[in-house]
Amino acid sequence: MEPQEASICLAPPLSAVKPPWYAFVLGLAKVVSLSHERGLFRATRGSRGMLVRYSILPGFGLTLGISMAWLGLIVLVPLAALAIHAGGLGWSGFWAEVSTPRVLSAFRVSCTTALAAALINVVFGLLVAWVLVRYRFPGQRLVDALVDLPFALPTAVAGIALTSLYATNGWIGSILAEWGVKVAFTPLGIVVALTFIGLPFVVRTVEPVLQDLAPEEEEVAMSLGASRWQTFIRVILPALTPALLTGFALAFARGLGEYGSVIFIAGNMPGISEIVPLLIIIKLEQFSYQGATAIGTLMLVLSFILLLVINLLQAWMRGRHHVS
Amino acid sequence: MAINISGISKRFGAFLALDKVDLHIQSGELLALLGPSGSGKTTLLRILGGLDRACGGTITFFGEAALGLTPRDRQVGFVFQHYSLFRHMTVRDNVAFGLDVRPRRDRLPRAVISERVARLLELVQLAPLADRYPAQLSGGQRQRVALARALAIEPKVLLLDEPFGALDAKVRKELRRWLRRLHDEMNITSIFVTHDQEEALEVADRVVVMNNGRIEQVGAPGEVYDHPASPFVYDFLGNVNRFECIISDGTAKIVSIGLTMPAIGAEPGPALAFVRPHDIELIRLDAATGDAGGGGVACARVRHIHAIGPTARIELDIEGHRFEAVMDQDRLRCLGVRAGDWCGVRLTRPRLFSSNSAALIQE
Repeated sequence: MEPQEASICLAPPLSAVKPPWYAFVLGLAKVVSLSHERGLFRATRGSRGMLVRYSILPGFGLTLGISMAWLGLIVLVPLAALAIHAGGLGWSGFWAEVSTPRVLSAFRVSCTTALAAALINVVFGLLVAWVLVRYRFPGQRLVDALVDLPFALPTAVAGIALTSLYATNGWIGSILAEWGVKVAFTPLGIVVALTFIGLPFVVRTVEPVLQDLAPEEEEVAMSLGASRWQTFIRVILPALTPALLTGFALAFARGLGEYGSVIFIAGNMPGISEIVPLLIIIKLEQFSYQGATAIGTLMLVLSFILLLVINLLQAWMRGRHHVS
Repeated sequence: MAINISGISKRFGAFLALDKVDLHIQSGELLALLGPSGSGKTTLLRILGGLDRACGGTITFFGEAALGLTPRDRQVGFVFQHYSLFRHMTVRDNVAFGLDVRPRRDRLPRAVISERVARLLELVQLAPLADRYPAQLSGGQRQRVALARALAIEPKVLLLDEPFGALDAKVRKELRRWLRRLHDEMNITSIFVTHDQEEALEVADRVVVMNNGRIEQVGAPGEVYDHPASPFVYDFLGNVNRFECIISDGTAKIVSIGLTMPAIGAEPGPALAFVRPHDIELIRLDAATGDAGGGGVACARVRHIHAIGPTARIELDIEGHRFEAVMDQDRLRCLGVRAGDWCGVRLTRPRLFSSNSAALIQE
């Protein structure tokens, strides 16, 4: 998921061997330029069944070539190298690495906390976006800017701040402790950190859609006799669902890969509050590069499947509302 | 009397959108609120529909005070200019919406709902498209869905806000005739807002002309067109030539084109004369000689003739002051006037309004 972590474990093998991506990029560039020469991607007006529609801006071949090479260099090559490296283990070795109770429980912790945090963010992110779009109040710009802070703040800073707040002697932690709720150094703490990290994703994806949503649709619903609740559930929410799904997917994916803020608040007890990215670092510190790549690969596959499913879901929804 | 509006005012900040408006709407009539943008027509419609609150005044619906009622309790159907269909619902679900959201105790059985929806879709001629989504329909079809959706709740009053404003000219014409027929069949008290005078005059039983938050005139289309009550209505409805004139000693003199006309008993002072293009008579110059200027005939230069269809539009010019006449092609041919010629001009039915008070001086 996180390229930085992948490259840490890949640095030694890649520098030892001739860089394999060199040939890959060269090959990719060749394919693109060849197909361009043969007119495969040439923009043509009116002819059906072609790859591209006529566009005012020329240079489809060039831009696609560059995009593919760029995407390959930045995303695909590190990920492919990760998979290849993990492949060196073979199926049984791979399985042995990832099926230990410690790894499995780390996956369980990572997935459930990221899921919980993403769901919380969907609810409250929608609320924040709603307030920011629909109402005008003093200090609105300030609140708007605050939403982006989790993007900009070094995650370790966020983690330390949250830990000191939610520890049993912290401001919020001491109050919660009276109720018998312990946040810091438990999975609940992880959820808190991930909620903090993921909030901007939901707010920023929902905001523009909400802005485009004509208030007339709500007025129609009202004049047809719908209550506020019915208007929200049956008119507003369906229109926002694709954006909410995107925000959810982004927040969830970010939550799976988040490292910096979590390790401070989580307590990192193996089997209870240890997350997958931390486990990868631990493996690396023990010079178990193959173990680290195996875990990284599994995480990659899980995230990819999840994002693919969400994308398909969105495509299906969009297909229903828009002209096919 | 279906709807009684009295003293309704609405203020948006410093802007007075409605200024103590009074209006009585008959049961079963099709009424047009006509005016330029910013005249308050849409605001009045929204207040009627319960979408905006009035700052003062009262409204009764069929004898019952309406201002305190929610949109649901007023039983009005509202149709917006931009259709505002629910895009994630099929045509069928859109139309059924108002019936589906009723509280459980008032809700009709599912079979009754689907039967009523089917009947409405038949009525708006969209039955084959029931399972489509709004994005798959044309503008005219979408507006008909919006209408069916509003009719589904069996409203006592139908409110339409520029219902054809977003459609192209041809569809617009078809749809407004269709609306007229539909209204004649169903007989629901309907009020529609428009800034298109042709639309208002063609479709409505009565036209309400609004300007600056006030009602300028209420009347049947023919009455409003032929006997405008104010200079604004004259300007707004149809083409009109406007001449500044001065009244003194029982005559009005249009200085710019050198014509005088009788204005017996009128207060001396500045005034405005309005003449419809078809009330300007052209006279061949040889017949007009001898009494040009004196007996109500002026000499004008023909600048341009637009001859398309049965009528011709003639642009005239007297010393740089331009105005327009309209006549049958046949008559124009008899006259034998061409662009560049000189001809005599007589104003047959001028109406005079005082410049100061905008009051009608003389028919």
